[in-house]
Amino acid sequence: MKKKLKNNEKQFSLFKIDLKLKLTTLLLLVAIFNSRADTYAQKTKVSLELNNATVERVIETIEQKTDFKFIYKLNDIDLDRVVSIHVKNQNITVLLDQLFKDVPTEIIVRDTQIMLKKPTIIISNTLPFLLEKIKGKVIDENRMPMAGATITEQGTRNSVVTAFDGTFEITVQSNTAMLAVTFMGYVSKVILANQINPTIQLEPETTSLKEVVLVGYGSMSKKDITGSVSSITAKNMNQGAIVNPLQLINGKMAGVSITQTGSEPGSAPSIRIRGLTSLVGGSDPLVVIDGVQGNLDLLNQIPPSEIASIDILKDASAAAVYGSRGAAGVILVSTKKSKEGKTTVEYTGTTSVDYIPNPLEVLNSDQWWEQAQLVGVPALANHGANTDWFNILTQRGLTQTHALAFGGGTDKFNYRASISAILQEGVVINSKSDKYIGRIQATQLAMDDKLKLTFNLNTGIINSTNSIGSIGRAAFTSNLITNSYFVSPTTPVYNTDGTYYNDPNVFNYLNPYAAAQTVTNESENNNLFGSLKADYDIVSGLTAGWFGSWRKTNNMYGFYLPAESTDASAIDQKGFANIKNEKQSERLMDISLTYKKVFGDHSINYLGLYEWQSQTYQGSYAQARGFINDKATYNALQMGNFSNVKPGDISSYKNDRTLISFLSRVNYTYKDRYLLTASLRRDGSSVFGENNKWGNFPSVSLGWAINKEPFMANQTIFNELKLRGGYGVTGNQQGLEPQKSLSLVGNTGVTYFGGSQITNFAIIQNDNPDLKWESKKQTNIGIDFSVLDNRVRGNVDAYTATTDNLLFNYTVPQPPYPYNTVMANVGSIRNEGIEATLSYDLIRNDNTTLTLTGNVSFMRNEVLNLSGSIDGIPLNTNYVGWGAPNSYLVKGKPVGSFYILQSTGKDNANAETVLDRDGNGIIDQGATSPDRVYEGSALPTYTFAFNPTFKHKNIDVSVLFKGSGGNKIYNSLNKSLSYQESIGKSNVLTSSIPLGMYTTQYVSDLWLEDGDFVRLENVTIGYNFLFKEVKYIESLRLTLTGNNLLLFTDYTGMDPEINLSGGGTNFGNDMGIYPRTRSFGLGLSVKFK
Amino acid sequence: MKIKNIVLIGGLSLLSLTGCTNLDEKLYDKYETDTFYGSPEAADVALAGVYAQIGGNWDGVGYAGADNGWYDLNAMTSDEQVIPHRNTGDWQLDFAKLYKHDWLPTSSLVNNTWNWLYKSVFTANLAVELLEKAQADPAKIAEAKVLRAFYYYLLIDDYGNVPFYTNNNTTVDKIPQASRKVVYDFIVKELNENVELLSGVKGGKYYGRFNKWAGYTLLAKVYLNAEVYTGTPKWAECLATCEKINLAGYSLHSGVENTTSPLGNKYYELFGDVLPDDETILAIFTTVDVVSRNILTVRSLSGTHAKSLFGYNGWNGTVVPKDFFLKYADADIRKKQFLIGEQPGSVNYTLEIGSLDNPGAPPQAGVRNTKFYPAGLNTGGGASNDFPIFRYADVMLMTAECHVRLGNAGAAKSFVDAIRQRAGLAVLAADPTLTDIYDERGFELNWEGHRRQDMIRFDTYLLPNEFRGASPSFRKLFPIPTAALDANPGLKQNPGY
Repeated sequence: MKKKLKNNEKQFSLFKIDLKLKLTTLLLLVAIFNSRADTYAQKTKVSLELNNATVERVIETIEQKTDFKFIYKLNDIDLDRVVSIHVKNQNITVLLDQLFKDVPTEIIVRDTQIMLKKPTIIISNTLPFLLEKIKGKVIDENRMPMAGATITEQGTRNSVVTAFDGTFEITVQSNTAMLAVTFMGYVSKVILANQINPTIQLEPETTSLKEVVLVGYGSMSKKDITGSVSSITAKNMNQGAIVNPLQLINGKMAGVSITQTGSEPGSAPSIRIRGLTSLVGGSDPLVVIDGVQGNLDLLNQIPPSEIASIDILKDASAAAVYGSRGAAGVILVSTKKSKEGKTTVEYTGTTSVDYIPNPLEVLNSDQWWEQAQLVGVPALANHGANTDWFNILTQRGLTQTHALAFGGGTDKFNYRASISAILQEGVVINSKSDKYIGRIQATQLAMDDKLKLTFNLNTGIINSTNSIGSIGRAAFTSNLITNSYFVSPTTPVYNTDGTYYNDPNVFNYLNPYAAAQTVTNESENNNLFGSLKADYDIVSGLTAGWFGSWRKTNNMYGFYLPAESTDASAIDQKGFANIKNEKQSERLMDISLTYKKVFGDHSINYLGLYEWQSQTYQGSYAQARGFINDKATYNALQMGNFSNVKPGDISSYKNDRTLISFLSRVNYTYKDRYLLTASLRRDGSSVFGENNKWGNFPSVSLGWAINKEPFMANQTIFNELKLRGGYGVTGNQQGLEPQKSLSLVGNTGVTYFGGSQITNFAIIQNDNPDLKWESKKQTNIGIDFSVLDNRVRGNVDAYTATTDNLLFNYTVPQPPYPYNTVMANVGSIRNEGIEATLSYDLIRNDNTTLTLTGNVSFMRNEVLNLSGSIDGIPLNTNYVGWGAPNSYLVKGKPVGSFYILQSTGKDNANAETVLDRDGNGIIDQGATSPDRVYEGSALPTYTFAFNPTFKHKNIDVSVLFKGSGGNKIYNSLNKSLSYQESIGKSNVLTSSIPLGMYTTQYVSDLWLEDGDFVRLENVTIGYNFLFKEVKYIESLRLTLTGNNLLLFTDYTGMDPEINLSGGGTNFGNDMGIYPRTRSFGLGLSVKFK
Repeated sequence: MKIKNIVLIGGLSLLSLTGCTNLDEKLYDKYETDTFYGSPEAADVALAGVYAQIGGNWDGVGYAGADNGWYDLNAMTSDEQVIPHRNTGDWQLDFAKLYKHDWLPTSSLVNNTWNWLYKSVFTANLAVELLEKAQADPAKIAEAKVLRAFYYYLLIDDYGNVPFYTNNNTTVDKIPQASRKVVYDFIVKELNENVELLSGVKGGKYYGRFNKWAGYTLLAKVYLNAEVYTGTPKWAECLATCEKINLAGYSLHSGVENTTSPLGNKYYELFGDVLPDDETILAIFTTVDVVSRNILTVRSLSGTHAKSLFGYNGWNGTVVPKDFFLKYADADIRKKQFLIGEQPGSVNYTLEIGSLDNPGAPPQAGVRNTKFYPAGLNTGGGASNDFPIFRYADVMLMTAECHVRLGNAGAAKSFVDAIRQRAGLAVLAADPTLTDIYDERGFELNWEGHRRQDMIRFDTYLLPNEFRGASPSFRKLFPIPTAALDANPGLKQNPGY
């Protein structure tokens, strides 16, 4: 009681701070801020040696080496003026004075901002009638005085500039005069001159406009972007125990859908940019990390904590510079870099505990036996135990991340190094993944700073112990955890002698606990990638570049399943072990020329590039069986029994591909408001058929910065308004495996002929000399806006993308084809969509900001055509099974359309009945059967995310809701767990009892469910400590994160986020997944000084 | 300075560009079709590929031995075997539906069999084409053609009117659905033209291959069922063909009465690891998990029973229906292949199956069969017992049947008696009737894949049994699978489906 009172008192006292104290605090804060604001400019010592460099080059160099950012109008500064600069360890002002010593230029340094402008010509006021004298002050968004702001009496040339303390004094004709207050980089304000000592606060222009965005082979200022690019920097990314970089941007970008199917340690989410654009060509985007190109697995090889920014090229006009690798979109990642004069040492760590939120409900042993007796199960099938199989196979998971990064720099050199560990222990027993990554990056200037060398090296090891992915009885093969639902609860785990129980009366019985405990299922991924970039300034504006990267990945997969695992094949073989080694080597080299020039109102930036890529894949596999004991597992295959070697026990492979590209790109800007980007890439690839080795990938896009038009000068609604439109062609060739265009003979097992067992050969692939890339033609129109004093910001994009020459393994008539499918470019599919992102600063003041951010995407997918002809042979492809049972590719419908029989209940024998739609008395289960009806597609038609962020002083809170819907999921797992015919050997769901079905001969819509969901994906609460007095620590941040906290859905499976990434029987089909976890994490981030 | 720079950059660029425009595709781990089949060894490879279809490769569907293919479809629609759904939950209802004559055009067994047969026809066409192009040994060309005829014979036997083509350089729309008669005529013509070209060697290099006698047995089979296929019987032609084989020196394998062999009877060798050349005319060679596999016994025995015998669990699947088992005389040695009552592994097989589908048979219900008693390398996945497609006992019974059908029952008696005597039975008291022949075929050739064809020829296929009433006559043909109809809209479904 007493304690409570005390608390109340304390709380009360918090609100009772008197005004004096408040003011003191404010002043103190201002002082701190002030000192901080000045600190950078005062403290930072700059050294620069540049001979005969352009002003632009000097500015760029300073921006690269320091945190200083320049703001100026192109017309104000002559960027092409050639200067020589020699400063050593000087204040930035010394350097700037030198730079502009002969050119009258007004220089204002504010914290890290350096404003340059033509000196304001002050007209001395000689008018005879001076009526009003106005004194005032201009302050910025932080209420700091602004020196150098211009006050102009509208309609006259009468103007003054504010002094160092932000004050000004102007004499105007009357108190009805209008005063315009302007400052570079800030939104102008107009006031009436009748106020007494006005204090005018200016707000900065939308900060995003100043951001630099990666666009592939270079970067651009965001304001000049004409394509559809989503960007995010580290401070806006998701927080918590992040194990894969995709988790950083989950829900953050419209049109970028990230799906986490289950939470198996080491498993990566899948990502789709503007939907599924290919069937077999691959819909995974290209990943480019600091210039190194790779497939999605490249992302898994860098530490999330070292990512500075992620930019996603969504439309074809943006991605076309990547030509035949760009169709599925491009993820550009830039890693953190060190700046001159600043030393960084920082540690970031998180720990989270992981739970399984909602397992399926199956019968316990009493319920099971009660139900089993009803369907005539004999007593011998009841083994008397009461085992909760799911429970004994699961545990509490633990995820830890640790990252230590340090770096620093001088004027000629900077480096950053980091070491990270990501350690996951899964919620299923014996599943874990440990990832260690070391990175180093160095930049060196040479040859009078004309040559810049950048070196990157990233190496990592991922050691994983995986839960078995595919095991179980013949009738139901799934992952290990899913198998635990199937085991009868009356079967014991152990025999009385302590060995694992195996029910000999059940065909291919599996004791999942035995399998989990005795299997060895390990993988090791060693990866290394490095790059060297050399840029050389040849003459003013012309830069030559050379870039080379090499990426090597070695994977080892070791597997051993002993007989005691109870798996039937393991018992037959007296245990078997195999080892698979894979090697991947990807080399890339490009040579580029860049030319940048400003001619009056015109600004041009040209890039010409030649690129060569070579990728080699190699591997081997060996298997042995019949081991005397289980000690060596897969590490000594030679100890197996070699009297029984099977075909397929030994194999190896090798293939490679070469891609050669020429790229031209031009960016042209007129008066800063008319923007044009055009590019043309020509790609040649070895994997294309011999008749189609080369392809062209053009793009053009236009932008119009409407708010910069003179007629917009006087409006105050729009702070920014830009219209964008583009068209481009991209291709897809990475999904096209090598050798697919050739007619090939391979081995197909062993046969007996001529008195001996011989290798059997057969044609295993048809040739297709016309084989080529898929071409995706995309049109995008977008608008970027910022209104109401920048409080509301957003953009809206609409697109339509058609993938022609769709790659598919078309079923071809056999005859005439020697093989029953051919990889060919025949069909086309279309994706259309609208996506919008909106941010609203609900509260924005000195101490508190509350920003509501959301995005929504609507998309529509349609198979336009799958038929055509190959070599003049008609190819009628329609109603091709694709993905889940009853899911088809049908012309005019989305990919993965469910054409399905309608369940009508059950008959007297409790067998399922379905609707005979055409009433002919026959239930036709053919693909084109009239008894089938369209019931939706596996592809969601909308996704959305809502992301409020709140900051108050040192506390920040971020909440992320995410959802999608409009899709259907075929719940195969529930189907398998619901028919009473199998209860004698298997458990069933609690929900199957009221259903009461004994058997079915149909695959009906009884198991087709809506996939709509809303998930509370992430809640993060952070607290920042800033230390001025502590000796070695600069700042410390604590975070508390919850993931997957709430899930709203009608879906009855474990989790509605299932595989939607493309082909395979898992597409739109829930066959049981590794559980998706709910986790709670604690994070710590310390910056040392 | 500037020029120097440009020269330097240009030079470096050229250096990097050299050799970087080659886009030819390299093959490291496969063979290009043209080069491969252009080589002289390829003829044998092409021919071996057609045989590989019969056995099925190590995980594929073949003629017999493995799961869910031609054998199951043909055997379980007859009266000799079935896999009931068990009330313990094992086994889906697909097999019970076969026995109950309740299969659908979507049945995976119907579809698997069709696909397997057409892939085989295609492979045979390819072999004929490659061998002819390479001007190979005419015996090998003939062998490929006889194999093709074999597959077409299986096709018309199961499906009736079927798509027919002999040259792969065509398209599906140009392949008509030929009538059973047309395909029958082709088979007869093709065999008459080619069988004589085949090798006369038995066993050795020709073990598992069509020699001349296997070719004639095939022709005799086609004649034997000619009335079913075309409406016109060919008993005399069948008899004439059988007589050629009767002169080839085959005999009933006497075996060694070996009490130490698990079965304790001489039939053990006849269905063992490698089949004896004296009686076997055409066999499927099997080494479990390497070349095909024979699952027939392990699929039948219960888990613990097989475990106590061989060390791995049985599948507790196939059983012998009561009526079929009870027809065997107790003295018949061949009855020993069946197991009933108490067995090792504390099981007790019962005569009654009880229920085929709902609620299913109790776990130990049904008589089991060990005709193919696991021999050679064997695992829970199957054994290495070879499988007889044609053997001389069959030819003898065909000979006898032709004699009876042609009204010369007296000539038939010795053939039937010889088979009965080997089985430890007395000779027939009178000249054999068609019923005697039919029954003897059932006793001797059970589980060898002939029963459905025999039942249709002897008109017993549609008769009611313990688990169903009389079936409609359309069940004498299987439906063309739904997937095949989807792929080729030109095909016409068999009536009734």
